[in-house]
Amino acid sequence: MTDEKHWELDMSAGPIFVQIGKNVRQMLARGDLQQGEKLPSARDLAAALGVNPNTVVHAYGELERTDVIETRRGRGTFIRVDAPVAEMRKELLRDAATGFATEVRRLGVDRGEALALLEEVWDAGQPD
Amino acid sequence: MLANLTNVTKRYVRTEGIRDLTLQFPAGEVVGVLGLNGSGKSTMLKILAGLLMPSEGVAAVFDGPPRRNRARVVYLGETDALWTWMTPADAEKFMAGLYEDFDVARFRELLGSLEVPLRKTKAMSKGERGRLRLAMALARSARLYLLDEPLAGIDLLSREKILTSIVKEWHTDETILLSTHEVAEAEALFDRVIFLHKGRLALDARAEQLRSEGRSVVDAFREVLS
Amino acid sequence: MSSLTRFRTLMWLEARRSWVWGVALIGSLAFWAWGMHQVSFVDPGEQLGVRAAILLVASGIGGLVLCLMIGRIRSETRHGQYQVLLLTPPSGYLHTLARFTFVGMVAVAYYITIGGLAWWAIAQAGLQLDAGSAAQLMLVCPLYGVGLAMLPALAWTLLLMVFVSSYRVSGPGWVPGTVMVLATPFLGSWISEGIWKVSYRLPSWRLFEGLRAAINTAAWEAEVEGFQGVFSLPQEPLWIMLAISAVMLAVAGRIWQEVEG
Repeated sequence: MTDEKHWELDMSAGPIFVQIGKNVRQMLARGDLQQGEKLPSARDLAAALGVNPNTVVHAYGELERTDVIETRRGRGTFIRVDAPVAEMRKELLRDAATGFATEVRRLGVDRGEALALLEEVWDAGQPD
Repeated sequence: MLANLTNVTKRYVRTEGIRDLTLQFPAGEVVGVLGLNGSGKSTMLKILAGLLMPSEGVAAVFDGPPRRNRARVVYLGETDALWTWMTPADAEKFMAGLYEDFDVARFRELLGSLEVPLRKTKAMSKGERGRLRLAMALARSARLYLLDEPLAGIDLLSREKILTSIVKEWHTDETILLSTHEVAEAEALFDRVIFLHKGRLALDARAEQLRSEGRSVVDAFREVLS
Repeated sequence: MSSLTRFRTLMWLEARRSWVWGVALIGSLAFWAWGMHQVSFVDPGEQLGVRAAILLVASGIGGLVLCLMIGRIRSETRHGQYQVLLLTPPSGYLHTLARFTFVGMVAVAYYITIGGLAWWAIAQAGLQLDAGSAAQLMLVCPLYGVGLAMLPALAWTLLLMVFVSSYRVSGPGWVPGTVMVLATPFLGSWISEGIWKVSYRLPSWRLFEGLRAAINTAAWEAEVEGFQGVFSLPQEPLWIMLAISAVMLAVAGRIWQEVEG
């Protein structure tokens, strides 16, 4: 999980703690993280990412406040069993869709063209 | 406050190292000291390490003159100064016999995680020597660490190892001042960044604050220089 | 951390740094010994004289090398900065003492060995020294010489090097360094005169009491007519020079302390 491939941190894209939170949510939504799964300690994650431990603590704090993760005394930090994965998925999907729509609209495409384009790309990307 | 500088100026024969610098360093921060060559980063760290005296102004470390408290501060200078015949075992003996706060177990762990070869330093590459020196520094327990260009001239893999070790070894009541050119590589490490330009303080900001304004530390660095 | 622990570590450091020099120096005595062995004259007096000259040369060269050994502060320079000096927290005094002690120990070993070689040369010349004289030749004389001349020379060299090396770190150290070199001959002659005046007030050490008997039994009578066979070494010069060494060491330590803190 601390494999760097999963993490996308861009120094120009806003505070790192926000990005970490987003990454965790994305991983949950995609199924790379499961409910109830144990997260690395703030320090271990910080070391793996080359990031200040305070930043990870900040991110974990925010995730805890929004009921995504919880700290169990003496045992570590875990994704909550009742973490709202479905909601996160929905939000991710929404973001992806909004992103597509905005981009495509900017290129001057109407709704019909957009849907046709999406179908085309979708079929092309299907594994056989 | 672990350390502070009040209106500190340092003059050399022909140049000025730093000019009218006022800074405070509380416990628990990882501070990036950034700037071009000759901007005064080394001078500032040497003054805090007690190796140089300010021409004007006052420098204090643990509420006293830096000179007096030198034993309680870990200073890692930028020059690669180890005896050529020294092996990591010699370095261990040297440090353990002269520094009370040197932790032998931690040193050996660091030698492992930094993958320092067990050879004489003259048979080591620059990166390997850099890692040995860092292991010697981080194996000491102090509340203030002054690391002057620990990444300079060191290969990429060594730099990564060094940064990871610094993250791992840092404790919440310690303060690390790290000067570097490799801003991009190290920026995620810093709570706070200080930019020195031609001896003066050009910017003192929290890294995450900069990022929430849409600038990376590298961006801010470029702005300061232009 | 006790000063003793630090001192021991510094001694270890000095040994690690300079053991090759020490071994080479004492090993070089094998060369001088071989040279002495090669010398062969019919007249034992002449032979002894030449061998004594060889030992004198060995003593002088050894002294020079020892001074070079102690002055090796330069080998710790990088970009004119004494980096390793600056890394260490123990007091400059301890560091000075450790360096002086190590080189001093090498000096003692060297000159005692020369004493041994002298004993051999004298035995080869037909003079069988009694145990007392032999011990005096091999221990008392070297130690006296080391205390009188070598230790002060080492302390002086160390002081000079520390002066000069403090240049880059805290101001122009080469000025006092040059002053020191220029002033030494004057100070030296003034001190010698002073020592000469006060010598022999305290009881002196009588050496080679047994030598007269030895000379009388050898074929030497003709050569050393009127030879009393007893030397007396005055105490005062030794103590004075040791005190001067201590003062020079203290000053060197003080400067090193300024640099190291």
